[in-house]
Amino acid sequence: MTREIKFESPSFSKRLKGMLGVDFYRLFHTPLFYIFLGIAAIIPAMVSAMTMMPDQNGNTMTPLYSNVWQIIAASEPLYVINSIADYANMNMVFIFGGIMVSIFIGHDYKSGYVKQLFTTHAKKQDYMMSKSIVCAFAMACMCITYFIGGTVGGLLVGYDTAVNAGSLIIAILGKMIMSIGWASLYTFLNVIFRKFFGISIASSFFFGTGILIIGVAAIVENLAIPTAFLNIFLYGSSVNACLTSNVVTLLVCALVSVAWAVFYNVLGTRILYKSDVY
Amino acid sequence: MNAIEIRNLTKNFGPKQALSGLNMTVPQGVIYGFIGENGSGKSTTEKIICGLIHESGGSVKLYGKPHTDADVRAKIGVLIEAPGCFSSYSVWNNMKLQAANLGIKNADEEIIKVLKLVRMEGAASNKYKNCSLGMKQRIGIAMALLGNPTLLVLDEPINGLDADGMRIMREVLVDITKNGCTVVVSSHILSELEKIATHYGIVRGGKMLCEMTAEELEASCRTYVALKAQDTNRAKMILGCKYSRVEEDEAGYIRVYDMTTPEEIVTHLYENGILVSEIKTDKIGLEEYYIDLMKEGKR
Repeated sequence: MTREIKFESPSFSKRLKGMLGVDFYRLFHTPLFYIFLGIAAIIPAMVSAMTMMPDQNGNTMTPLYSNVWQIIAASEPLYVINSIADYANMNMVFIFGGIMVSIFIGHDYKSGYVKQLFTTHAKKQDYMMSKSIVCAFAMACMCITYFIGGTVGGLLVGYDTAVNAGSLIIAILGKMIMSIGWASLYTFLNVIFRKFFGISIASSFFFGTGILIIGVAAIVENLAIPTAFLNIFLYGSSVNACLTSNVVTLLVCALVSVAWAVFYNVLGTRILYKSDVY
Repeated sequence: MNAIEIRNLTKNFGPKQALSGLNMTVPQGVIYGFIGENGSGKSTTEKIICGLIHESGGSVKLYGKPHTDADVRAKIGVLIEAPGCFSSYSVWNNMKLQAANLGIKNADEEIIKVLKLVRMEGAASNKYKNCSLGMKQRIGIAMALLGNPTLLVLDEPINGLDADGMRIMREVLVDITKNGCTVVVSSHILSELEKIATHYGIVRGGKMLCEMTAEELEASCRTYVALKAQDTNRAKMILGCKYSRVEEDEAGYIRVYDMTTPEEIVTHLYENGILVSEIKTDKIGLEEYYIDLMKEGKR
């Protein structure tokens, strides 16, 4: 017995909607997401508290920060770090986020979900986009819990609270917007190293630390070249979103983040199309 | 129009050639038994059909269209190796996720329908990781059936199943084809495949050795005379002198494959002083046919 076959090509919005539904469901139903939200909240609180703890001789250590909001963002764009305080701010979310994305996407391959997915009408670009959007959302949520943890920790320790509220909000929004670019980078890395879970995590961690840009910044500073051009990179723009930010900073963040997101999505899609998936 | 039409399919994994000019034709509405040794290229072919890996050369058409077309892909259900399920989710939730990916509107209704079809309606709330191998395979088929596919590609769905699991799987596959769905199923358990397949494709060394219908297989399977005698070894020796192919099977029967009659054999043995206690005529099955074909190929 044969039956009449009616071919229908599912629209892009229908495909993406379905995939986003699945990815958001998975995100909200995995303990991993909540663990990383917790980590993002605890780390800044711990950093604040530890910098005020007495040392072995009972002397109170010199505080790393002078202001609660420096735990959220640096006072000015510091591409080259001189102390841990210059480095330890909301940008750390992109390191934890990278690990979370690696585990989240790694599970797609481990479970065989990807195999199941790509045998349907799902397209590779839908996969890249869906993962980037969901992981960006997860990292933006981590920025919020980081903000809460950092603020509570800083207030408990007794740091000063004076701030330009507008710049603070722009810095936080800027970093949240940067999540789109970072999530796309991590999705891309995980697509490249999809068969090597450990390398996926390690590479996400490596790029998340921004060590490459910090290195370049050190060289550039020694050569007395202005460092502003580093804002074209994800880490550079993330650093640029600081406590002296203005609307232009936010626009730069949006532009850089979206540009890199598009770049990584296009590249990741091409790699998925060219290579054997499973 | 054929459900699958493959021409000159090649696939290289580095220097290794997994497929070397494979041709395959699967008519609509059939159960196509895809047979071959390990490493013969069955899974590679199935993965190419499903879009999981790229072909190095040749063409794959599904219902006359390139197999990469999204509209054609929407009509395929697949179970390659194990189903792609999240182990900590329930069967129901895994099905819901697949339904969401497929954009199925009345998902609950359809999930209930396919779970019933694979006799799994009572296990929807079970966590996937707590399901037995047989249940997991049936869940995989249920997932493949979501979205009302017209072509189902199943890679070794009955491997590792117990007798009851195999029976259920058999019934499920036959039920699926009742509404016109085409099923391509690869398996090493030929005795099971023989009970359901209407068409066969035998692959070896990345090439299709032969394709045939069940009727053609039946016609080409040789008839033989099987007998039990008082002195098996002597009977074998005597028969071996007269007939070209005489073998003893696992059950202790002496098989004579030449064109002859039981009467002629009984008379011949009686004349040589051997009494026959049991004699029958039979046909070789798919398994033996396949083994013979492989032996011939090797020769």
